[in-house]
Amino acid sequence: MLFPADFLTRLEYLSIMSKRVFRGTLLAQRRTTQMGSGIEFSDHREYTHGDDLRYLDWNIYARHGDLLLKRFQEEQDLHVYLMLDCSRSMAFGQPAKFDLARHLTAALAYIALADLDRIAVVAYADGIVAEFPVTRGKARILPLMRFLESLQTTGQDTHLGKAVGGILHRGTRSGLAVVISDLFDEHGFRTGLDQLRYRRFDAHVLQLHDPKEADPNMLGDVELEDVETESVRMVTVTEKNMRTYKQLFQQHQQSVREYCSNYGLGCTQSPSIVAFDELVMSMMRASAVAR
Amino acid sequence: MSFAVPAALFLTAVALPIIGLYILKVRLRRVKVSTNLFWKQVYEEKPPRSLWQNLRHLLSLLAQLLLLLLLVSAIADPYFFWQALQARRIVAVIDISASMKAQDVSPSRFEAARTAVHRVLDGLRFRDEMAIVSAGGRPEVILGMASHVPTLRRAIDGIEPVDTSASLDAAIELATQLIGDHPHGQIIVFSDGCAQRPSDVVTTTQLAGTEHSTEVAQKSAVDPGAIANSKPKQIKPQVIHKTFATTAPNVGITQFQARRSLVDPLGYEILVTVRNASKNKVSGRLELELDEIPVDIIPINLKPEEVWTRSFEKTSLEGGVLKSALTQLAIDDANFTPGQDSDGTKTNPAAPTTSSAISLNVLPTDDVAFAIVPARKVQNVLIVTPGNLFLRKVFEANPLVNISTSQEIPKQWPKDTIVVLHRLIPEILPIGPLLIVDPETNSDVWSLGELIENPIVTEQDDESPLMTHIRLDNVLMPEAKKMEFSLPVSQLAATVTGETVYASVQRPSGPCLVLSINLEKSDLAFRTAFPILIANALGWFAGQPSEHQPSLAGGQIAEFDPSNARIYLESQTESSVGDNTSESPSGVGRATDSQTKPPTQASYRHFVKSPTGKQIPLMSRQIGPMSEVGIWEVQQQASDALKDRQSRTTDSAEAAGTVVERFAINLANANESDLRPSDQFARSSDSSISSNWLSRPLWYYLIVCASFFCTAEWYLYQRRFIS
Repeated sequence: MLFPADFLTRLEYLSIMSKRVFRGTLLAQRRTTQMGSGIEFSDHREYTHGDDLRYLDWNIYARHGDLLLKRFQEEQDLHVYLMLDCSRSMAFGQPAKFDLARHLTAALAYIALADLDRIAVVAYADGIVAEFPVTRGKARILPLMRFLESLQTTGQDTHLGKAVGGILHRGTRSGLAVVISDLFDEHGFRTGLDQLRYRRFDAHVLQLHDPKEADPNMLGDVELEDVETESVRMVTVTEKNMRTYKQLFQQHQQSVREYCSNYGLGCTQSPSIVAFDELVMSMMRASAVAR
Repeated sequence: MSFAVPAALFLTAVALPIIGLYILKVRLRRVKVSTNLFWKQVYEEKPPRSLWQNLRHLLSLLAQLLLLLLLVSAIADPYFFWQALQARRIVAVIDISASMKAQDVSPSRFEAARTAVHRVLDGLRFRDEMAIVSAGGRPEVILGMASHVPTLRRAIDGIEPVDTSASLDAAIELATQLIGDHPHGQIIVFSDGCAQRPSDVVTTTQLAGTEHSTEVAQKSAVDPGAIANSKPKQIKPQVIHKTFATTAPNVGITQFQARRSLVDPLGYEILVTVRNASKNKVSGRLELELDEIPVDIIPINLKPEEVWTRSFEKTSLEGGVLKSALTQLAIDDANFTPGQDSDGTKTNPAAPTTSSAISLNVLPTDDVAFAIVPARKVQNVLIVTPGNLFLRKVFEANPLVNISTSQEIPKQWPKDTIVVLHRLIPEILPIGPLLIVDPETNSDVWSLGELIENPIVTEQDDESPLMTHIRLDNVLMPEAKKMEFSLPVSQLAATVTGETVYASVQRPSGPCLVLSINLEKSDLAFRTAFPILIANALGWFAGQPSEHQPSLAGGQIAEFDPSNARIYLESQTESSVGDNTSESPSGVGRATDSQTKPPTQASYRHFVKSPTGKQIPLMSRQIGPMSEVGIWEVQQQASDALKDRQSRTTDSAEAAGTVVERFAINLANANESDLRPSDQFARSSDSSISSNWLSRPLWYYLIVCASFFCTAEWYLYQRRFIS
């Protein structure tokens, strides 16, 4: 059973904790970057013909003679897009990374719904596999959990860029996009995240990995079977090979961290043996520190 | 080349499954991974099973087959034909004397020798045989000719050094007999060269290239043409000496004896000899203890090579175990240089190296010595005499005697008292010990005959303890009485005509000595022989074994006399009882003891206890060889039947085992205390006899090669590189 009986209780606890300690930092009541008719000043821009003169900054005009228009942040409902990796590599590990990923999806969705935000869940592998449409209200959590339970790992490939492209082509409104994946993407994880950035999505990466992926305990002659592509390689794993593998894995993890850091994306990396609520709390703490 | 165990070659059949498994190619272990993303980068898209890798697998197969072949060959034990034709007979003579315990060679001389014997064993070839002979106080064959190396190793490991001298010559002779007429016999002597010098030490350089060694060499010295003409009847084996020693200095006690004083009943005399076997001045202390109570501490300053001998007089009533120990030994010479190894053997770093702090205790065995001082006991003496000052004074002069005198024959005789009857003789002699001097009347034991005028003593029983240190042949005796005894007597002193003047009567009711000399007319009372004669008589009555219980050298065999042991036990019991015996109302003296029918010797079990606590049942009168320095005890334990009787009557200490005899064993050997090997040994020491890489059997090299291939295969399997 994916969601045990006390799962909703734990979600409620997380929701309360997020309001008390981390209110407005990550999900609920987070302001959009949409400019519009809000009351909170955002910045200036050049005046052009046709602009509403009510928003002209007369003080600057009086002092400097420049015509600048004041811009205000528009307060809207936050749209939270939870992008869940459903590729077969997510089924790896004990417990499977996919289970933790679904728990995290449900938890983040609950917190957002509790704060009257809108959420949507997009399951992807080599493309969009399934979708839970944009919705709001805490009452939608149960259909969402049923949706998550019905998901299976599938596909022969992982392609985040293709999935993001599919969402963006629909003219989806920007918001917060949380990518929950192992980021083992032969096409590169940057393509999808770049698209989100370009469309002014506030992206957050939640990267999961199994401890055996970081430190595989095998030496000698073995057949390596890729669970995603089902391809088999006969190799002889020596200690030198193993050292190289570990080095490459750490480089991959490091590249994800550096990418997120460089472009201001939130990033959480965790092994799949961590409980989902602990992980959510640590995510929020990290966001609070970074704020 | 041939094989000792050719049947083992069938084991090569194991190669078939190895090749089969290689051909069948065991299915590889399949491991699921979440992505090949990183593994692709690891192998950089090169074919993971390249030709070179397959070749590596072939090499692995070859390594496995070679490994198997080598192991099978090693089990089959190959040998060259010349090895079979020139099989050797080796006898390892191991010196186990006390000096081999010296720790100037790390960890000790004996352990270094043991290691060397093991190395010789390593080089034992097929059909070679080896025997082990120990050269302690007596040569002993530890293991006869054998070729089973583990058995030989166990025999070598079971040998321990003893506190005796070495009998190298006898051991070499024994080894020669073991080898017999074998053409390739070899005797290897592992010693420190501190024992007696062998008569014909032949160096290996002399022996090299000669088959019949010593005998021929000696002949050639006389007649140069003897080698060509001589056809030896008996081939003498090579004798190779391996010396494990340095020129370590040592100071040891080479003699230590104690005895009761002949003139002082309470006194005892000590004779001690200390030898400085070094070229340096040595100072130290000689500490004497009697039953662990300090008696004296004597500072000693020894010149180089000095033999220091002293005698001391001390007093003790109880006697006991006298121990001497050399302590605080130090070399005074500032120019002292530690001993150099005679054959390059590693010198013990723990051995002293500086002159100021040197302790000279590389051989602790000879730093202590023991001796037995016999115990004395106070005796009650009743002198019944009409009056003789000399007789009374000779007993009064003895502090171990309680005297009571009577001028008349008493009606009742006291218990546990030696009765001296001078002239006054009752019709029936009392029970118990008696000393009769110049009897005037007949008794139930003798009848008096004519007077003997001017008797001259010409016959003395010098073996008897009663006549120890006494000469009566020049004593003026104007008058003595001729006596005819009704009981058997032991004649102690007799005249030229065979008339007895001093005898011990074998009386069932108690010991009896009869001296028929007229004391008043003789000058015996003025002679020193008189108090000695009385002291001997008192000691004989008391049952003291002897005045002198000599300390024995390590390895000696001692005689144990159960009858003396019984007396010793009784004396112990009496001394512990003390004065209570005189209050006995019966007044029948020792007759009461005899009436109680003490247990016979057959009722006891005797066993010998060594200084280290090892207990050996005593099966005969001979004890030994006693090869440990210290006090050896003969203990007496009551048999089961007697134990039952004792448990009903008294909880005697005999039930738990009582010491009935003690022997002091010392090293007392100047050769063993001198740790410097003789020049002859140092010259003949051969350091090349131990096995080297080329002297080992073939299977050893096969195993070495197999180990190499095993390592190679392990490397190929575990650390196989693909790119």
